[in-house]
Amino acid sequence: MSVKIADVIIIGSGIVGSSAAYYCRKKGLSVIVLEAEIIGHGGSSRNGGGVRQSGRDARELPLAMYAVKHIWPNLKEELGVDPEYMQKGYLVCGYNEEHKRGIENRIKVAAAAGIEMTLLQGKDIQEVNPYVSEHVTCAGWTPSDGSANPLTATLGFYKRARELGAQYYTHEVVVKLQIVRGSVKRVLTEKGNVYEGSQIIVAAGYEGRNIIKTVGLDVPVYPRLVDVIITEAAAPMFDHMIGGMSGFYGHQTNHGSFVFGNSTGREQTLGCYADKLYSTAYNPAFICNTVGVDIPALKPLKIIRTWSGWIDMCTDGVPVIGEVKDLPGVILDIGSTGHGFCPGPAVGQTLAEIANGEETSVDISKLAYERFDYATKSKKYYA
Amino acid sequence: MRKLDDRNIDLGEIIPELDDHIIICRCEEITKGEIREAVHMGMFTMTEVKRLLRPGMGLCQGQTCSRYVRNIIAKELGVSPLEIEDNVARPPMRPIELQVFGNEVESE
Amino acid sequence: MKRYHVIVIGAGPAGLSAAIEAASHGMTVGLFDENARPGGQLFKQIHKFFGSKEHKAKIRGFRIGEELLAEAEKLGVEVHLNSTVMGIYFPMNKITVSNGESTTSYSGNNIILAAGASENAIPFDGWTLPGVMGAGAAQTLMNLHGVQPGKRILMVGSGNVGLVVGFQLIQSGCQLEAIIDAAPKIGGYGVHAAKVARTGVPFLLSHTIVRAEGTESVTGAVIAQVDEYFQPIPGTERHLDVDTILIATGLTPMSKLAEMTGCDMKEMGGKVPVVDQYGMTSIEGLYAAGDVSGIEEASSAMIGGRIAALAAAAKDGYIEQNEFEKSYSDYQSSLEKLRKGMFAKENRGKTLAVTDEGLPISTNLLKHGFLDEEEITSYPGMTSRQGIHPVIECTQNIPCNPCQDACKFGCIQVGADITRLPIADVKSECKNCGMCVAACPGQAIFLVEEDCGDHMAAVTLPYEFRPLPEVGEKGYGLSRRGEEICPATVLNVRLNPVFDHTAILTIQVPKEMAMRARFYRGSRKD
Repeated sequence: MSVKIADVIIIGSGIVGSSAAYYCRKKGLSVIVLEAEIIGHGGSSRNGGGVRQSGRDARELPLAMYAVKHIWPNLKEELGVDPEYMQKGYLVCGYNEEHKRGIENRIKVAAAAGIEMTLLQGKDIQEVNPYVSEHVTCAGWTPSDGSANPLTATLGFYKRARELGAQYYTHEVVVKLQIVRGSVKRVLTEKGNVYEGSQIIVAAGYEGRNIIKTVGLDVPVYPRLVDVIITEAAAPMFDHMIGGMSGFYGHQTNHGSFVFGNSTGREQTLGCYADKLYSTAYNPAFICNTVGVDIPALKPLKIIRTWSGWIDMCTDGVPVIGEVKDLPGVILDIGSTGHGFCPGPAVGQTLAEIANGEETSVDISKLAYERFDYATKSKKYYA
Repeated sequence: MRKLDDRNIDLGEIIPELDDHIIICRCEEITKGEIREAVHMGMFTMTEVKRLLRPGMGLCQGQTCSRYVRNIIAKELGVSPLEIEDNVARPPMRPIELQVFGNEVESE
Repeated sequence: MKRYHVIVIGAGPAGLSAAIEAASHGMTVGLFDENARPGGQLFKQIHKFFGSKEHKAKIRGFRIGEELLAEAEKLGVEVHLNSTVMGIYFPMNKITVSNGESTTSYSGNNIILAAGASENAIPFDGWTLPGVMGAGAAQTLMNLHGVQPGKRILMVGSGNVGLVVGFQLIQSGCQLEAIIDAAPKIGGYGVHAAKVARTGVPFLLSHTIVRAEGTESVTGAVIAQVDEYFQPIPGTERHLDVDTILIATGLTPMSKLAEMTGCDMKEMGGKVPVVDQYGMTSIEGLYAAGDVSGIEEASSAMIGGRIAALAAAAKDGYIEQNEFEKSYSDYQSSLEKLRKGMFAKENRGKTLAVTDEGLPISTNLLKHGFLDEEEITSYPGMTSRQGIHPVIECTQNIPCNPCQDACKFGCIQVGADITRLPIADVKSECKNCGMCVAACPGQAIFLVEEDCGDHMAAVTLPYEFRPLPEVGEKGYGLSRRGEEICPATVLNVRLNPVFDHTAILTIQVPKEMAMRARFYRGSRKD
């Protein structure tokens, strides 16, 4: 039985796990990253690439905003890999009263946090994007939002963390955590390997829930399958992120292809298994239709691939991030509920700061594990 | 632990080869040299090389190049190509317009 | 969503045969193919097939396709053409199909995957230039669209695809400069190579392509000899003046649809679904047949398709167990007949020294594509006697016997084991009807009259080129390696519908050339 020891053991090699590894190394902490499959296997490589502050619950806005302001613009030089970050705005389209109310709500939340977001109507919409159909009557426009390439961003953090000496092991499935003298100290894997660290970061998406159960922790997180489509490369049409109140979201990538996601909500029960990441039969058609209604110019483009991914949905819509009071040694990031990409590097930095015993740069108090301790929603977290 | 699961192995300096300039993925115009470099950056699987560099992400979805990308990765890592997993197949089998994929008609 | 008893994906030989078998047992069948015409590879195959009558031997591939389609339609199979299966979703047994305008879904109690294979590419310097293409693509251009792929061609690969397409290039009026292969011996049937060699095309074994030259398109090729590790030997580079380079380096099963279902896959020169002896995958109700489950050829694909459909019919109660076992046993022995001989799976990679009969396998044929003069008398098909008689230059054990059926007078014998080399029966009298010459799919049978007086001999040979020579015209007799060895006069040109487009050409050559002249070329008009 081999025991490998490091200051920090990170479970999960996605954008959060790998950025945490990178920031830990920069702070001089030794790091071992354990990945159940291959680097960035989970949501980090499957999402639609939105780097978006608007449309978020206020509790996770500080992380999203910090990432947009301090991290995303510098990543290309910092990592030596181009994450294709573009800050060209986000246009979310609506075509009925309900949509308009939804947009107005988002504007309110954004304004409270100091994010510029305006309501566009009529011809103003086509000023921003001439390809949007005239049947779109209202839109929310957030100039400071944007997009990036989740694949290269995640692999970029991995490459850089590895260069700085983070030790990565793939196909290492964690089966349990172990408490030693009151602190979570050990990680046991399916292969019988043991890893020991002063801090154990769990950033493994939905699988994190099964892992933390082994030390008597749980979070109200359930998996939801969604699909994404990607087209062939097209001539550049627009460079802002675009979405619909009908649920679709996406953008035109550096490569020229368009990537879009959406979900019918049926995926849980029809045509897919809990443990298999198969594309479903319904979502692609649904994505095509919702996108096609708002951006008809895209209808003749050819889809060349679809894929699916698991979203770890937290019941109150935002993740659990941070330490667990009175159970030292474990630091959590679970339940990003489908919008973990943009704040991802900021979450990674936060976890590294916690591991290093520092004050965090971003306030994550509202995302605490303890907010689910009681039925009554505590004002501490839900005000 | 499988050799390739330890990402910390030292692959040594990359030795330039005479055919590094040959295009392997025609759809995305990726050369042999670029693939070898990606392996040295830590990409030890088809999927990671694909996601970083795009070979196999073009119109033919790896039909033409996968075998060779796999061989190049394997050679760089000093293992048999059988140790490198193949690209994953996903629908649609052929490129299809959004307006066709979304135009659902019932079968009688 | 419509539900069939059997969905068949791919209307090639395996798919059509599966559809026919399923429908014949009373199952409703939906057959889907992405092409405008069904038949898969069959529609490009203009050559005559091997095997025996039960395997549709001596019939040209495209006609087999037509026959199968007619049979399928007669049995009520619903054929969906221009219908691309975009995805396959288990456990709902669902397929989504696009016809270019819309998308529909179907489900099936059983799904038989018969999507075939696609050709491999090999990267080399300059392979992205226009003028480099797959041999199969060139075959489609020629045989379906009547377009020459180029003027001066280099064929890379000497398996059956390279050899068969090579011959078709010559038929299309292209100049085939050479066939090269990195291996030390020709990969395909000797008779296919001989057809090409006798027109003068050189075979360069242990050679590989180093570079395609040109800026806008191919203007030449550089080839080099290889060592035992298949690495080019420095200093052996040669330039070939070609404008087209065809790649015939093998096929890979198109098993992505199978992968999507999540059934167990294995590596076999590409990923293929793991199947049992009936073609069933690890998912109940999902079968794979034909090239998609492992590269063989059309004849075995047809039987494989039938077996899978038979198994589905038995599973779902359309036939009784004893009927199933009997039919399966019949199909299996038919399949085994095809899987014997020199090119059988168990012999792949082996260099056999002798035939089943103990006769030496011609190394000249394997290295150069033609039989050496000294070798020709050792085979049972090549006898010497008075009067006109068949000379059967068939020297490798391949399951094939249309020659035996062609001769109504008992001149040619193969026997129950169809891989045996044909024997020319010296006691039977040859009537010079020409049927054997036309029937041989390998174009390996000649009628020879060694002495017709005046120090002359007459050689009758199969001729599948146009325009046909004229009776009385003078030209040259070519040796097995395509060299002009003597003057020749055309005595007779027979084109009978029963020969199915193979003309029977009789030339007069000097007596000593009777066992050497095997092809004819007219004089060049200077």
